[in-house]
Amino acid sequence: MTNVEFDGVTKVFPGGAVAVDGLSLTVSDGEFLILVGPSGCGKSTALRMVAGLEKISAGSITVGGTRVNDIPPKDRDIAMVFQNYALYPHMTVEKNLGFALRQRKAPKEEIAQRVSAMAAMLGLEGLLQRRPGQLSGGQRQRVAMGRALVREPQVFLLDEPLSNLDAKLRVQMRAELKKLHHRLGITTIYVTHDQVEAMTLGDRIAVLSAGRLQQIGHPQDVYDHPANVFVAGFIGSPPMNLLRGSVRDGQVSAGDLVFARAGVPDADVIVGIRPEGLRLVGSDDPGPGFELHVDVVEPLGDEVMVHGTVSARDAGVRIEVEEATLLADAIEEDRAAVTVRLAPDVRPAPGSSVHLSVDPEGVHLFDADSGLAIR
Amino acid sequence: MSAIDVSTLPGEIGMVEPPRRRWLPFSPWHLVLMPIALVMLVPLLWVVMTSFETLAQTQHFPPILWPGSFQWQNYPNALHSVPFGRWFWNTTVVTTVVVLSNLVLCALAAYGFARIKFFGKGVAYFFLLATLMVPIQVVLIPTFLIVKQMHLLNTLGALIVPNLANVFGIFMLTQFFRTLPIELEEAARIDGASRLKILFVIVLPLSLPALATLAVIQFLWTWNDFLWPLVTIYKENAFTLQLGLMSFQGSHANDTNLLMAGNVMSMLPVLLLFIAAQRYFVRGIATQGLKG
Amino acid sequence: MATVEEATPSGPSLAQRIWHSDNLAGWLFVLPAVFLVALFSIFPIIWGFILSLQKASLLSPIRPFVGIDNYTKIASDPHAITAARNAVVYTFLFVPSSIAIAMFLAIALNQKIRLIRFYRLAVFIPVAVSTIATGVMFLWVFDATFGIANWALGQVGLGPFGWFNSPQGALPSLVIMTVWGWLGFDTIIYLAALQGVPHELVEAAAVDGATRWSTFRNVTLPLLGPATLLLVVWSTISAVQLFDEVYFVTKGGPLEHTSVPVFYIFKLAFTSSFGFSAAGYAAALAYVLFLVILGLTLAQFWLGKRVVHYSS
Repeated sequence: MTNVEFDGVTKVFPGGAVAVDGLSLTVSDGEFLILVGPSGCGKSTALRMVAGLEKISAGSITVGGTRVNDIPPKDRDIAMVFQNYALYPHMTVEKNLGFALRQRKAPKEEIAQRVSAMAAMLGLEGLLQRRPGQLSGGQRQRVAMGRALVREPQVFLLDEPLSNLDAKLRVQMRAELKKLHHRLGITTIYVTHDQVEAMTLGDRIAVLSAGRLQQIGHPQDVYDHPANVFVAGFIGSPPMNLLRGSVRDGQVSAGDLVFARAGVPDADVIVGIRPEGLRLVGSDDPGPGFELHVDVVEPLGDEVMVHGTVSARDAGVRIEVEEATLLADAIEEDRAAVTVRLAPDVRPAPGSSVHLSVDPEGVHLFDADSGLAIR
Repeated sequence: MSAIDVSTLPGEIGMVEPPRRRWLPFSPWHLVLMPIALVMLVPLLWVVMTSFETLAQTQHFPPILWPGSFQWQNYPNALHSVPFGRWFWNTTVVTTVVVLSNLVLCALAAYGFARIKFFGKGVAYFFLLATLMVPIQVVLIPTFLIVKQMHLLNTLGALIVPNLANVFGIFMLTQFFRTLPIELEEAARIDGASRLKILFVIVLPLSLPALATLAVIQFLWTWNDFLWPLVTIYKENAFTLQLGLMSFQGSHANDTNLLMAGNVMSMLPVLLLFIAAQRYFVRGIATQGLKG
Repeated sequence: MATVEEATPSGPSLAQRIWHSDNLAGWLFVLPAVFLVALFSIFPIIWGFILSLQKASLLSPIRPFVGIDNYTKIASDPHAITAARNAVVYTFLFVPSSIAIAMFLAIALNQKIRLIRFYRLAVFIPVAVSTIATGVMFLWVFDATFGIANWALGQVGLGPFGWFNSPQGALPSLVIMTVWGWLGFDTIIYLAALQGVPHELVEAAAVDGATRWSTFRNVTLPLLGPATLLLVVWSTISAVQLFDEVYFVTKGGPLEHTSVPVFYIFKLAFTSSFGFSAAGYAAALAYVLFLVILGLTLAQFWLGKRVVHYSS
């Protein structure tokens, strides 16, 4: 049973910078957990603390029931794939793969057998005698993974392993990684800044910002029910539309948009609507909605992305929630940017105005001060 | 979120290491480095100490490690017993001229090699590099004859003229100029600037670290040079400091305290320069060495 | 690139084209330096070879050709053989010890501890001291009667030694003195190479289960290969060309135990020991020495390429 438990883990660098602040979460045995967030959010530092490459300032990390704070990396039985692969440049692929096993003084025949099995699994057979300098980016990445997996570690850590690959290769490797995980079932923690990767790869995703955990859950849950404005704006591409608004007597209003929401006390709020949560309707449609002045139309083949502006309440440009900064852009003083996703057969002209309708049940409400979601 | 008291946290840099009982309040590396540093410095310190002793103290065994009172007059005495001032002057003149000349001529040549396409460039560069391979004793005698023909023997000219442009300097600056983004120079050319102007107004200001490194290394070489002055200068008043020091050792071998004072004076300028500019020395040696 | 053209119907004249051409510009830039190098390096190299085929004196311009006599004399010249033998001994003592100590020092100086800047300065500073100043220094330190070396060793029950005055001990004493002077240089190179080892590799090795020693042996040391090769070549070349210290401190003695090739060449050409007429012979010796150095360097590079793996 190898789970990884973070308990109030904090990392403070000399000079006072707090990279990770009170992180608590549990990765279950065999789970593929993704740590996702913008650069500087502390996800890599959290990963490195599991590996033992960074000392823990406060709190503890437990792997398989053992507290590892004071155990050096070499004794932790975890394996890691680095962003730049960190392959030993002077060793052949074969020697790279077998390095960890040689350190554990495994018998030569066993090393040879496991190395060739791993090479076969990753399609590296013909490359065993080459050096890293003679390999392509994708091949190096596979060697890095092979080197980590050949040890059959308890925990598998990956630090943005796909970010140095070109787009097509990245998509391919994502699928390979998922297959590999199904086959081997090792508890895995994966760090990325790319929320598309996070959504497609993870059993669960943990969103971090400024060192703190914002939300953890299954990708679809996090997408459908973001816990705060940061998660709402970070997860989903294109990002959720966010408008300033207010609630008075059960009525929510944001610019021209007005609808009822029972059980919500009077407050200033932020209204969030996913681009796919808006529909194009005639101007005589009675339901809640607003006028979109169209600026840019992007045909994408299977859908059309329309960017424009709607009437907004005031000139608030920035929404700041606990150091996480999101932009609710106002192009002019009283307008806010909105993006809507439409079916490919509808293509409004730039400069025209269209009427969009909103389903009130699908609108997310967040408290304007704390940023937390309002149920 | 409670504030974290940084001062109570354990050491934060680097990998986790197994908790080790600390026998000492400091890193064990000090036990290695301190003796080594002392071994490297003791000869220098001993020379300095001796330079402040009386003659009788220097001939005392066991050696006196700390003279009771400091004989500061050893220094002016040394200056007066041999033409130290003259030698100092000679060395300063030679070194200054050689360093300045190298900076100018090597920069000019390096710019030509780095940025201008001209007929015969490859051949010229190849021959220059080839001379780097040839050791000094091969050119020693012929160069002596050339300098003799020019009637420069026993003059400072003999030390200056052959060293006005050092191949090492050309090589180093050429490599450096090539690393500068060429767009700046191309933009200036389009604006009508002449090549010379580009070199002095754009390229050289961007090359100050490389020039400083070259100046500092050339200074060290020229100030400390011994073989070439030995071969070309035998009149005492044209000696450089190194030759003068040798002559001082010869004539005052038993006046150890004066001798050491003279030694300290001859080392001081270069040591001070080294301490002030060690960054350039170190960088120069490191980058040139690793590229070689 | 773009040439300035006058608004005449026939285009730029030949003179204008030459003035504005890259060829002229290029040569104008490099000419001063190239001329000086040609005069004081390239020309002497050729003249040196010619001299080696003559019986020459630095005092008179009369230099009859003697063909390769100068070269054939070398093999039967006891002074040359002694000098060569001493050079070999010196090189075998100097090169390994300075490189090994330098590698160890570089590791020590790569630690992030207090006083590290002081330690680095202490190791580097001897590089700035001239060979003569070092000689004066060590003549005093190694003084048989009053020097602190004998005194300090006496405190632990060793010595006293003759150092430069001892026939057997003079060469090792020279080694100690020159290693002291050059250690900083080698250490700087190793330190730079050490700092060039990507930290991620060390981390990967730690995660892979390597101990500190295993990481050094399997990851760091191989990556120091290029620097080691460079230092071996460089140290060998400077060891074989040793002169200043021999001339100043030991004068080749006692009893020629520290006579080295360049010292012998100098004596032949520039002193009266051989009647001032051995410059041609000296030139021949210089050329032979050059060929030996060249051969050694090539051999070391060839061997090095097979052993050292350069990371891309």
